[in-house]
Amino acid sequence: MPYTFWMTSRARKAVPIFAAFAVLATACNLDLTNPNAPTEEEVVSDLNGLLAVAVGMQGQFAQAIDDYMVTNSLVTDEWGTETKALISYQSLLTGENFDPSYLVVSAPWSASYSVIKSANTVLAGADNVGLGAGLRAGTVALAKLFKAMAFGMLIQQYDQVPIDVTTEGSLPQPRAVVMDTILDLLESARADIANVSDADLAGFKSRVAGTGFDLRNTIDAMLARYYLMAGRYADAFAAADRVSLTTLSVLSYPAPTRNPIENLAFQLGYVAGLKSFADQAEAGDRRPSYWLNTAIPGPAGNPDSVLLFLKKYSTPQESFPLYLPDEMKLIKAEALVRSNSPTTEALALVNEVRTQTSSPVDEPVAGLPPVVLATQAELLAEIAKQRRYELYEQGLRWEDTRRFGTALTTTPTQPFLPIPQQECNTNPANPCG
Amino acid sequence: MQEVRFVRLVVALIVSCPVVAAAQATGTIRGRITDVSTGAPVSSAQVRVEGTALGAQTAPDGSYTITGVPSGSQSVSTRHVGYAPQTITVTVAPSSTLTQDFALRSAAVTLSEVVVTGVAAPTTKRQLGNTIETVPGEQVAEAPGVTAIDQALQGRITGAVISENSGQPGGGVSIRLRGTNSILGGAEPLYVIDGVIVDNSAEALVSLSGNATRGNQALSNRMADFDPSDVERIEVLKGAAAAALYGARANNGVIQIFTKRGQSGRPNLSASSQVTWNSTPKRYDLNMSPNAGYTDVIYGGAPAIGAPIQRYDIQDQIFRTGVGNDTHFSVSGGNGGTSYYMGAGYQGEDGILRTTKYNRKDFRVNLSQSLSDQFEVGLRANYINSLADFIPEGEQTQGVLTSVIFTPTSVNPAFNPNLGRYPYNPVLGANPLDVMANWSAPERVTRLLGGLEATWRPVSSITLRYLSGVDDYRREDTYLQPPFSTSANFTGSIQNPVQFSRLFNNDITLTHAVTPNPNLGFNTSFGFRYTRDHTETVRAAGADLGPGQTLVGGATQTATQSEEELRTVGWYVEERASVGDRLFLTGGLNWDESSAFGPSQRRQLFPRAGLSYVLDREPWWRGTLSNVFSSFRLRAAVGETGGQPPGLYSRFANYVNTSFSGKPGLVSSITAGNPNLKPERQREYEGGFDAGFFHDRAQVEFSLYNKKTTDLVLSIPLPPSSGFQQQFQNIGSLTNKGVELALNTVNVTRPNFSWRTRLTYSANRNRITNLVTSSDTLLFDYLNAVIVGQPIGVFYGGVYARNPDGSIAYAPVTVSGQSLLLPVRGKDTLASGAIVNAQRIIGDPNPKFVASFGNDFDLGQRVHLSVLLDGRFGNDVANFSRRIEELFGVSKVVEREISGDTVARTFSLNPAGRSLIYEEYIEDGTFVKLREIALDLTLDPAWLGRFGAHEAKLRVAGRNLKTWTDYSGLDPEVNMFSASTVSRGVDFATTPLPRQFSIGLSFKF
Repeated sequence: MPYTFWMTSRARKAVPIFAAFAVLATACNLDLTNPNAPTEEEVVSDLNGLLAVAVGMQGQFAQAIDDYMVTNSLVTDEWGTETKALISYQSLLTGENFDPSYLVVSAPWSASYSVIKSANTVLAGADNVGLGAGLRAGTVALAKLFKAMAFGMLIQQYDQVPIDVTTEGSLPQPRAVVMDTILDLLESARADIANVSDADLAGFKSRVAGTGFDLRNTIDAMLARYYLMAGRYADAFAAADRVSLTTLSVLSYPAPTRNPIENLAFQLGYVAGLKSFADQAEAGDRRPSYWLNTAIPGPAGNPDSVLLFLKKYSTPQESFPLYLPDEMKLIKAEALVRSNSPTTEALALVNEVRTQTSSPVDEPVAGLPPVVLATQAELLAEIAKQRRYELYEQGLRWEDTRRFGTALTTTPTQPFLPIPQQECNTNPANPCG
Repeated sequence: MQEVRFVRLVVALIVSCPVVAAAQATGTIRGRITDVSTGAPVSSAQVRVEGTALGAQTAPDGSYTITGVPSGSQSVSTRHVGYAPQTITVTVAPSSTLTQDFALRSAAVTLSEVVVTGVAAPTTKRQLGNTIETVPGEQVAEAPGVTAIDQALQGRITGAVISENSGQPGGGVSIRLRGTNSILGGAEPLYVIDGVIVDNSAEALVSLSGNATRGNQALSNRMADFDPSDVERIEVLKGAAAAALYGARANNGVIQIFTKRGQSGRPNLSASSQVTWNSTPKRYDLNMSPNAGYTDVIYGGAPAIGAPIQRYDIQDQIFRTGVGNDTHFSVSGGNGGTSYYMGAGYQGEDGILRTTKYNRKDFRVNLSQSLSDQFEVGLRANYINSLADFIPEGEQTQGVLTSVIFTPTSVNPAFNPNLGRYPYNPVLGANPLDVMANWSAPERVTRLLGGLEATWRPVSSITLRYLSGVDDYRREDTYLQPPFSTSANFTGSIQNPVQFSRLFNNDITLTHAVTPNPNLGFNTSFGFRYTRDHTETVRAAGADLGPGQTLVGGATQTATQSEEELRTVGWYVEERASVGDRLFLTGGLNWDESSAFGPSQRRQLFPRAGLSYVLDREPWWRGTLSNVFSSFRLRAAVGETGGQPPGLYSRFANYVNTSFSGKPGLVSSITAGNPNLKPERQREYEGGFDAGFFHDRAQVEFSLYNKKTTDLVLSIPLPPSSGFQQQFQNIGSLTNKGVELALNTVNVTRPNFSWRTRLTYSANRNRITNLVTSSDTLLFDYLNAVIVGQPIGVFYGGVYARNPDGSIAYAPVTVSGQSLLLPVRGKDTLASGAIVNAQRIIGDPNPKFVASFGNDFDLGQRVHLSVLLDGRFGNDVANFSRRIEELFGVSKVVEREISGDTVARTFSLNPAGRSLIYEEYIEDGTFVKLREIALDLTLDPAWLGRFGAHEAKLRVAGRNLKTWTDYSGLDPEVNMFSASTVSRGVDFATTPLPRQFSIGLSFKF
């Protein structure tokens, strides 16, 4: 009597039991969160999360300065490699056997896009988490500034880079386009805080900004730096003129963080300063001994370069200045010379740099006698030389070789870094042709 | 009717839907089952009333009782592994008891064995299109020297490669069923005990073998916790076709373990105890030359090469004969609808390395109570407490055996009273004698495994079953490295990670069996399963310790915490149809959802189908064919399963903590989340036949399978301009193809002598068919690589430079003004003209085939001898131990160098880079082991009766007593990377499996 089973009352009651279990069962929630780490959705929709990303973004930039410096300082005449250095470092120094798959090629690229991604996250979420006007203005301006600085680092290392940050990858854009993006970001950042009082920025300073960081001055300094690179001299002069010369703006490295240049030069022992930097300085120039330890012999080099230990950045907690006051004077001088203004004012600015003997802030002072120079070419050569000694290992030397050309005594071993191999392989826009 | 009221209450509590149970006229069947030739009782035989779900299992004295049998004519059948099944028709009268005894005849055919396969209604093997291997409990419980259930499977099942990874007591076991099915995920099967999914994690909480930065595999795996004595039966579901019921957790197969239950009747007591002696099968053959060699000058303080020196072989102070004891008591029985099994066990074992030991105390209670004719509830509980004292080995610089192979024998490690300590090791991290004397690395586990089961059978054709299981454990590891033990600057460190793990599963199954006419039967099952695995790990650690400190403390303390959770929901439906008791069709669907899948891929469907055709039931088979084949069936099955993606939170875009300028910050992980992550998916086709010859005295089981696993999760590089570096995507694929053959024979069956054999052969070919790019070489740990077109985990590394004729090329190498003619490393010239060190595929750790040969002899009625040989053939082992022994002048071969028999520094710190020519250290790991040998003597029952016992056995047994191999290291079976999926076949100062000898006594009362 097979199917008559379904007719029994007991059987009919079995069905709801099963159904009841089934209903209970479907109540099981499978949308778990990750208890070990917040997810992007959680971060961008929460005030504390978003501010933490803004902090993390500065940390990403601060931890990447060695990546920017390795390429800049090794392809130019700033650093040499110690015997322990990786082959790729030696390759940067000598220009030989260079390979786009080297980590030194991808490191500045990857680091910059990490910063840019964080900045984009902050900018996208800033209006959704209930930030007060002052806190919002400061945080947004900061994100724009760091995004601009990351792009700025990129175009000093690669001659074309993508602007859109997407998981799929986008086509690299020429330098001029990227430069416009940088300047737009910086002007926009400046506008964001132009009418915000320092009192209203107090929350931003205590919760987001790093110790010793000055938002307004850094935005103006970066405007000056990138207007100059873009050839917009009047704008560069105006921006540089707004920067206070009696304060510094730095990335600080309290424990447990560590200055990455110190780590690279001492903990890892990969790099040291080239002794030629000190040897080629004008007699009496006090700046080589500010940057390098000229008192003792340096480490052995490979290839057999003659090296000196770094002096600046020789302790783990030393901070890194985002710009130096004398860079502003030299920007102004260069802007004047390049815009064919009378040379008097430019010469005065150069001599201010040459003759400085003391400073209220931690910066190199030359202590040299003034010079008298008449021609534009002479002035540019002098500005280039002053930039070499004022702005050692600030990540600017490579770009200087492009702008000053024959006014310098050095030629970089690479014109630019190639696009990293992983980007070539994975970006469907085929950035490597 | 208190009972009924209780049922009502329970049911009402669950669903607020009261049910009235009706009475029915029933009787009882009881009897005893014996072996026809020896007259011995057959325990654990299945007795069933056909056409109903009623049944029982025989008690140790062979007796059984089935109550509640509907009155009238009933077919009672009995089955037991190794015996031909019997069916007898009886007439049951209401409210009376009928006695029906059975005398069973030996047979090699196992087709009638009942298997559960995870569905509510048990079925027989002959009805299934896929193979399910069954291992009876007595083979597990009585396997000599076996301390863990998985270990007992060695040599018993086809299609499996089972390795003990380290010979330390409590050391882990790795099982590969039909090959390796993942790359980044786990490859160990899913274990289920009485329907409860149990954890078999092998995550290293402290690094004692491989470093945490490599696979992070522990010396132990958690199946070590369960007492083999409680096992009644193991069913091994090898492929996707069989394991599909477990859906997205079953890619590596499923091992189902069933524990003993009580049978109706008087209490059966059993007690057994055995003493085991463990010793090392082999020691390192060390350089004992009376003259100094190169490394003796460098590290041993010898004045010059050739100078007379003293040497020390400290292996006497490291190896020992470890004594162990294994004792187990159990009581089982039942009456008045109650049945019970209670077991308690103690296992204590001293390892072959001094200071290593393992002990485990456990008890188990399995209770079941009939509340009415329709309703039965059961409770199972198993509590385990274990302690393993490990010592570091493998690549740990503090490893004891590691130290032996790294340290020239001219170094004397003995305690120096003037220094007040053991001298520091001139080569490696620690002095091995100090490590054994003062360091400690215990692992403590407290575990509770419980299951609650309720079965409701409103009519004999329908069964509703509910099961709720929990596996809850706490595992505490400690690693104490005392201050000043490795150098004067070392201030000590202690790690004390604690892991809490809870696995919960909840199963509901509804089965409906109908037989519309005698030739047609249907069995329909619906089921639901919910699982929740939660793991929390708290890692406390301290440094700058005070003397004598054994707990976390000291000047520097750290603690971290992590948590993981996986939830799955599965629905399944299965239909089985039988036509004329010869054609059996099975079809099933499984919908699985998992919290680890991306939301868009949440619901996954896994279908399966099977066909079994029992040809010997056809009328045309009778006659000629049946004279040759006493039984024959063809089978075929296809099925799909899944594997959880490695990394339960890989679907999320995660942020990680950072610190900038003293402020807490968050940065995006460089690994992008993948919201489309889905399971690794496997499809298996399997086919074969089972044939019985000579009136079922011989049986062949033959299977072919072809498995393809796709959607393997791999790390894909992303454009760095995305701000990410990589993402986990379902992209890889691999195949496993193989053949399995088992031959069971009853060679002799006479009243005073019987002999049975089982021969198994399995071969598996693994091939990687897709990676991110076809030229990818994914290197894991040392040498194991994943390369398209190759088996998983092939050895890939440096090779010798060779002459055009293929012989090894020698080149002069100038060292300190001396020119030495040595073999050199092979080079490759790239397209760019650059010359690089050549790397090649130099070996394959996957065996070409595995085989086992088991023999059982009965000599008279009281003497039983079993012998099991187990072998692995054609696999390579990377002998990293030999590499280091030679490099540091520790090996016996270095004596040749000292005596001038070979070029200086052929071995010792070879200046031509010999240690990077890995080709040299790949050896053939083929072995055959005398895995088990056991002689059982049954004592005179008449004499025993005076003590109230009805059975007593004296047993003399051995495990791994002999290994036949050309491998030059201590043991070709071990693996430094333990349960690692890809890194297999690496021997690096890994403890060999002990040679075990045991004597035991067991009694049944």
